[in-house]
Amino acid sequence: MSRSEKLRQRAKELLASKEVAMVIGYCAGSKPGLSQPAFITRPEEAQRLIFDSTCSQNLANYLLKVKNSGKVAVVAKGCDSRSIVVLLQENQIQRENLYILGVGCDGVVQNGAKSVSCLACQYPNPVIYDEMIGDEVEKPAPDPIVAKNDKEFEQLSSAERWQVLSEDISRCIRCYACRQVCPNCYCPVCFVDASMPQLVGRTHNLSDNMAFHIIRALHMAGRCVECGACHRACPMGIDLMRLNRRVARIVRERFDSVAGVDINKPPALTQFNPADPQEFIK
Amino acid sequence: MKKYLLTRQELSQLLDRLAKETNLYAPVKDKTGATWGKVKNTAEVHLEEVNTREPAKGFIFPRCEVLLRFDQKGNALEPEPPEEQIVFGIRPCDARAIAFLEKFYTIEGKTDPYVKARREKTTFIGLACNRTAPTCFCLALGGSPHDATGMDLLLTDLGDLFLAEPLTAKGEKLIAGYPEAKNEHLTAGAKLRKKAEAEIPLRIDTAKLQEVLPKAFASKIWETLALNCVNCGACTFLCPTCHCFDVTDETVRGSTVRCRVWDSCQFTLYSRHASGHNPRLDPRARYRNRVMDKFYYTVEQAGVISCVGCGRCIIACPANIDIRTTVERLLKEFPEE
Repeated sequence: MSRSEKLRQRAKELLASKEVAMVIGYCAGSKPGLSQPAFITRPEEAQRLIFDSTCSQNLANYLLKVKNSGKVAVVAKGCDSRSIVVLLQENQIQRENLYILGVGCDGVVQNGAKSVSCLACQYPNPVIYDEMIGDEVEKPAPDPIVAKNDKEFEQLSSAERWQVLSEDISRCIRCYACRQVCPNCYCPVCFVDASMPQLVGRTHNLSDNMAFHIIRALHMAGRCVECGACHRACPMGIDLMRLNRRVARIVRERFDSVAGVDINKPPALTQFNPADPQEFIK
Repeated sequence: MKKYLLTRQELSQLLDRLAKETNLYAPVKDKTGATWGKVKNTAEVHLEEVNTREPAKGFIFPRCEVLLRFDQKGNALEPEPPEEQIVFGIRPCDARAIAFLEKFYTIEGKTDPYVKARREKTTFIGLACNRTAPTCFCLALGGSPHDATGMDLLLTDLGDLFLAEPLTAKGEKLIAGYPEAKNEHLTAGAKLRKKAEAEIPLRIDTAKLQEVLPKAFASKIWETLALNCVNCGACTFLCPTCHCFDVTDETVRGSTVRCRVWDSCQFTLYSRHASGHNPRLDPRARYRNRVMDKFYYTVEQAGVISCVGCGRCIIACPANIDIRTTVERLLKEFPEE
């Protein structure tokens, strides 16, 4: 039985036995090579479910939207499961209301090429699940091109890095697709939407754009699971993962913490450790 | 109207001359496709993509339009008037959207002076589409890959030659002096039109939509249609006809500007009242609003459907929501009584 078939069968059983009220998974999209989130509530609809490399959305995002739907089953790739861990740690969702259908992931595809976040993926298998659909997949070797690009970026002077970032960020149209698809970006009122007083200007000049992206990146420090949903969602093709990978690397190296991999380990920014490096306090 | 002929070389020469004389904008290549850019010569023009990532609405309705300027002493400073600009390579869907914006911003005799001033200073040289993308559906909504609505001049690529059809005095001026097209060229143009149109099979019963949408407003169908929607503004900001704005004051280094910036009905802030009450807090109501606006509200207000079928919202949607599917489902599930 193929993985998609197994998924359909289990979804059908879970719904028929009323163990869950809804299964959040993927179904075929309206264009070839694309899929879309599917919200299945009737057993006979479970046949619509698919799972393949086109299943690119991070479905943990939708768990926050269906909070009042009772117990929900969700299809989770490695990165999605890490987002779920972060949401559980931050008390945004309840574990008992959740049934995780884990799937190993070989990377998702966008416009015919493997997504850049998947090229650097170290967690292709779910870190938390109730049952695995299909086998675990092997962890890929880190992509040398991503590592090389990151290293080149790191080696630039801060003025040069600013220049590179500015070129990218100046194209932002502030549609907030990056924020909206991020499961771990769930503030009821985002700082850019605060209007009394207005915290960030609403014009699309570079300083306002930069304020949005840098503050968002900092808010995601120790919480971003590098799923790349923001990167894929950006209609302007801005390389958001460059910033995210850098922030995640700093957290990993400084605080020995990787977001969403261990539910029992408190996230980096929620704990105080006297041994934390704090050379920035002078 | 009469049609004229330009050779490929003559078109290059014309564009090179325009680039020197005025501000010439055209599709240019960037990291992920084509975008609008100011060009210095024909070599910079990039027409390989079916369409630009962003629509052309920004030429008459910029993302940020300065309405007022004043300094710290309270002196009002005149905002800079728009400059002359020529936009080359606009596609029929986007030009139709320009025509819509012009119409929408003059309804009930109230003219938006900013849109009007920019349109007057802008010349649109369009390019008919000889090929379409799988997301294109202009034909389903009364447009065509070779439609000339909203343009000053429409060019059709016949291979070595371009067929040029002026639509306005501005277009006439540009094409003055070139030879008139012969019957064989007109036939070639018509053939290309037919071929491009055949690539778009979708048809939407727009008249029926006018009966269906008010009935569907209170339906539960939106709950399923919009469950995917994450309420980002990608569809609205990349939409060639979305025209909502907000007015904001900003002070930068002692000088204050009041500008209007694009806004999106997909944002919660968009509909929040001064009291704090928000009548459209439900994300599904916000998606519904976008669909109702495209296919119903603007028909009431300006007499036309404001979706031109460019397909950008389909391409941009991170949740793969397809407005064609939405419309088809609405038509299917609410049969005429």
